[in-house]
Amino acid sequence: MTLTYMNIMLAFTISLLGMLTYRSHLVASLLCLEGMMMSLFIMATLIASNTHFPLVNIMPIILLVFAACETAVGLALLISISNTYGLDYVHNLNLLQC
Amino acid sequence: MAYILFTLSVLLVMGFVGFSSKPSPIYGGLALTVSGVVGCVIVLNCGGGYMGLMMFLVYLGGMMVVFGYTTAMAIEEYPETWGSGLEVLGGLLVGLMMEVMLVLWVLSLNEAVVVVVGFSDTGDWVIFEGEGSGLIRGDSIGAGALYDYGRWLVVVAGWTLFVGVYVVIEIVRGN
Repeated sequence: MTLTYMNIMLAFTISLLGMLTYRSHLVASLLCLEGMMMSLFIMATLIASNTHFPLVNIMPIILLVFAACETAVGLALLISISNTYGLDYVHNLNLLQC
Repeated sequence: MAYILFTLSVLLVMGFVGFSSKPSPIYGGLALTVSGVVGCVIVLNCGGGYMGLMMFLVYLGGMMVVFGYTTAMAIEEYPETWGSGLEVLGGLLVGLMMEVMLVLWVLSLNEAVVVVVGFSDTGDWVIFEGEGSGLIRGDSIGAGALYDYGRWLVVVAGWTLFVGVYVVIEIVRGN
């Protein structure tokens, strides 16, 4: 494997860390989720091109379709949170208190 | 020029650090857009013109626009950028420093970096071509095979998108 794959896997890990840590906004975690999907797309496309196996190109396209669905549902939840609380601050989601 | 692909992947990591350090989401969207451009150029460098432009279309043209509109609805009055506040700046600097030191260390090695697979830079500038890039581009043919071998997958994905729209309407309806 080349060093380009190492950088793309590193980008995935950095986005994963960014998604798992909350600061104030919820939509920032959704952005990091989008970053994870994008790094997976780039990696799958590079593998499909470098191994000269064109049928693998189906996988990133389907990944993109389901990532778009996931983004839509995530943003819809964000909108309903924003309608209830005014902003999408994470510390507003405190109904389940332990 | 021989290391263009590796340089672009380093820029990709830096763009990802830019939105993973969690500034205000409008700046995160900007960093994700820049990362998407760099990623598209990476894909184009490996001969995937169709896939790169489709990523441009769906990601940057579709999802980033929707993210921009949604963020404009749910944003505060003074969004914090990378220079305001120590947390975001610290995260950004730590990420960039990590990437620079990793690149310098890996390029100074002579053998491969073994994490699960062995990463070596000998494959970066040896781009072997099979039959040359002629009239039949591999990525367009592969994506076209989605509608041939993956007929049922297309139906399932289309139905998922359709039901997804109803799910979004039900969530946003509220009461």
